[in-house]
Amino acid sequence: MLDFFTIFSKGGLVLWCFQGVRGPAAACTAPVNALIRSVLLQERGGSNSFTHDALTLKYKLDNQFELVFVVGFQKILTLTYVDKLIDDVHKEFRDKYRNEFHQKGTLGLLNGTFDFKEDFLRLLREAEESSKIRAPTAMKTFEQSAKSQKTVKSMIETRGEKPKEKAKNKKNKGSKKEVSGAEVAAVPKAAPAVKEDLPVAAGDREELTKDEILQKKREEFFRKHQKGGEKSNKSPKPDTSKDKGKKPRVWDLGNSNAKVLDYSNSTTNGNTDTCSMEEFDQDMVLGDRDREPGRLRDLEYESEEETEEEEKVVQNSSSANVKKGGLGGMFGMLKGLVGSKSLTREDMDPVLEKMKDHLIAKNVAADIAVQLCESVAKKLEGKVMGTFTTVTSTVKQALQESLVQILQPQRRVDVLRDVMDAQRHRRPYVITFCGVNGVGKSTNLAKISFWLIENGFSVLIAACDTFRAGAVEQLRTHTRRLNALHPPENYSGRTMVQLYEKGYGKDAAGIAMEAISYARNQGFDVVLVDTAGRMQDNAPLMTALAKLIAVNAPDLVLFVGEALVGNEAVDQLVKFNKALADHSMAQTPRLIDGIVLTKFDTIDDKVGAAISMTYITSKPIVFVGTGQTYCDLRSLNAKAVVAALMKA
Amino acid sequence: MAAPEVATSREAPPPPLDVQLPDLVPLSLFVALVVVALTLLILKFIQTRKSSRRAVLLVGLCDSGKTLMFARLLTANFQNTQTSITDNSGLYRVKNDKNSSVTLIDLPGHKSLRLQFLDRFKAAARAIVFVVDSVAFQREMKDVAEFLYQILTDSVVLKNAPPLLIACNKQDVTMAKSSKLIQQQLEKELNTLRVTRSAAPSTLDSSNSGSASQLGKKGKEFDFSQLPMKVDFMECSARGSKGEEGSGDIDDLEKWIAKIA
Repeated sequence: MLDFFTIFSKGGLVLWCFQGVRGPAAACTAPVNALIRSVLLQERGGSNSFTHDALTLKYKLDNQFELVFVVGFQKILTLTYVDKLIDDVHKEFRDKYRNEFHQKGTLGLLNGTFDFKEDFLRLLREAEESSKIRAPTAMKTFEQSAKSQKTVKSMIETRGEKPKEKAKNKKNKGSKKEVSGAEVAAVPKAAPAVKEDLPVAAGDREELTKDEILQKKREEFFRKHQKGGEKSNKSPKPDTSKDKGKKPRVWDLGNSNAKVLDYSNSTTNGNTDTCSMEEFDQDMVLGDRDREPGRLRDLEYESEEETEEEEKVVQNSSSANVKKGGLGGMFGMLKGLVGSKSLTREDMDPVLEKMKDHLIAKNVAADIAVQLCESVAKKLEGKVMGTFTTVTSTVKQALQESLVQILQPQRRVDVLRDVMDAQRHRRPYVITFCGVNGVGKSTNLAKISFWLIENGFSVLIAACDTFRAGAVEQLRTHTRRLNALHPPENYSGRTMVQLYEKGYGKDAAGIAMEAISYARNQGFDVVLVDTAGRMQDNAPLMTALAKLIAVNAPDLVLFVGEALVGNEAVDQLVKFNKALADHSMAQTPRLIDGIVLTKFDTIDDKVGAAISMTYITSKPIVFVGTGQTYCDLRSLNAKAVVAALMKA
Repeated sequence: MAAPEVATSREAPPPPLDVQLPDLVPLSLFVALVVVALTLLILKFIQTRKSSRRAVLLVGLCDSGKTLMFARLLTANFQNTQTSITDNSGLYRVKNDKNSSVTLIDLPGHKSLRLQFLDRFKAAARAIVFVVDSVAFQREMKDVAEFLYQILTDSVVLKNAPPLLIACNKQDVTMAKSSKLIQQQLEKELNTLRVTRSAAPSTLDSSNSGSASQLGKKGKEFDFSQLPMKVDFMECSARGSKGEEGSGDIDDLEKWIAKIA
């Protein structure tokens, strides 16, 4: 079932590899490399699974010995035992070869023979067996889950509520035995009927409060009653209500509920049933509670039980952890200070929490701060701390490294080099600017054209913002100023910058296309396409942008974002990327290639936006705008940004 | 910081020695202080020993074969590898008559890691082996040149000027480029890179204007002989022509390391 299972050191040495499916020996290399590059090195280690082509990969890190365990299987399979298998293999492997890791370091890894196949096959078999044993229970719970019971019961309750029904019920008084017999048949019929009748309510039911549910159902019922006549509803209704006949509603409900459960489920959920019965009986005897709360409590009761169970599980796990981690107060303290010990999640949690708050205070988007801390925790868990290091310093160090890692561009950014290449091929290099309104697209476009002209490249500016009043005039002014700064005389009569405009209200993609062909004919080196600002939620405008990019295939698509942005950065970039992906016809859609971070001079040390943006896109920040003049264009220095970010 | 903690912990157990207690406390304090001082000394010693530059760094892009070369040098065995997340290091016994040894460090080649790790180890570099994938060189040329540029313009590297070997790996593949061609292409590319890099917008913190370190001689076409360090080119194949069973073709590399060690 498994495609492969591989164990390698973080340094990249494969220690042992199991291949379940026949194939070339290197078959597991490519997906695992993809996993490493797009998950482990991008600090996306929050979840432990990753999909690559047709494979799902799950991994586990051993930070003490710097090992990585990866298992791969076909995406369509849902193998429940994989997590357990990884854990088991991890334990077994670590225990078996502890000495190799401890004593000889890397040489031990290189020279050691890891004959793990026997153990692995045994563990795999065990895991598969255990999953088989567990399988039937899973089936059972689906059939007889509390939810399905609730549906039937709640339907009955609504019916019971109706005054009309009451009358009918009285008429239909029959002996209980008869009723119960009829009911068995009625219940299955009733269930589908409810589903048909209350399609909306069924979905919403759990979210609404109980009163609202009642009201809603009542309305639904009346509507159905008037519309569809009594034909469809009649058959389930009397049947279900029959048993309620002799007694007030609540009693009926409890009774019927219990019966439904009794007949359909026979064995499993007996506990809950009897409980609810008892509850009702008590109520009836005491008579001090009205029916409504009683019924509500029934619902609550089940849910409470569920949550209690969950809590218990949580408590169990946490208590187990505590047992493991707790080593006695003072000794632990001393050990934490002096001795080398491995980090546990409990040790790190308070520090991570603090770090997360710190990052958010520095304007990193909240989601990203959480994911980052999660990933750092995964990276550190189980790691042995050195002497004289505290948890705080270790976590801080790891976080700092991660941040530098994120800001390190994944893609070569050397616009000038690429422009030179394009120049050699006698075609213009096209850069498109996009972004939301008012982030400084045109201003930074002007700065970039100034920088390009300084380096001796001629620039054509395509005014594709055909929407905002004054956009074209703004660019024209820039062109005039730039031409004044770099008069054609200095460049042997060549006009260094020119504006290509077609006025307002035209199709932006068309203008861009014309501009590019014009640039090709006139021998311009670079075309800068200025687009209209648009909010990421504005679907028609996003489609237009995607079209512009798909049609013109620019060499570089730059997203312009302001450094002031906080949580919004995530939404903006995700939606822009999504729009570009959704509306492109190509196999591999054209996405954002780089980011221009503007208004960087206004944020002091709250530089979180840089992290947010690069984390989402894993694309480099190509330029940073730091002011109003043409010279205020910088490139990003990862270390400086991280230093500002970590500064208290 | 540890000293008072130790003192208090010593203080706790001795109920019978009531009279000697005042003597014990300063003694334990003294011992603790001595221990701290000693550890500091040892730490310093270790650090200074590190800076005596006994490391040979294996650097290069992803998938150029650094980790395999590392394994071949240390054990002569073939090793399956994945993308490295951290460095590998091992003691390498040099094959010469002096019987000395160097630390061989294999740095990860992934873009987001390599500069970080280079920063960590560059001060200890006695020599640098820059591994190039000769098969994919044409495609990766710009990236190779960029990384090489970053190494060559690094102030620490310039100061120490460790000998540099550009190992054109994967020569077992028929389509591999020769070292001569790679040298020419790299020189040309570094020449352009010199222009574009100096024209790039300055970085955010203008305090360290690192661009001051100019590559090669100004006003002249770039040439590896202009560099302060000695640069060698070499063809090798860590995988070897006989595949996984055979040995690698890295004899020249071993000789080179023996020479510089």
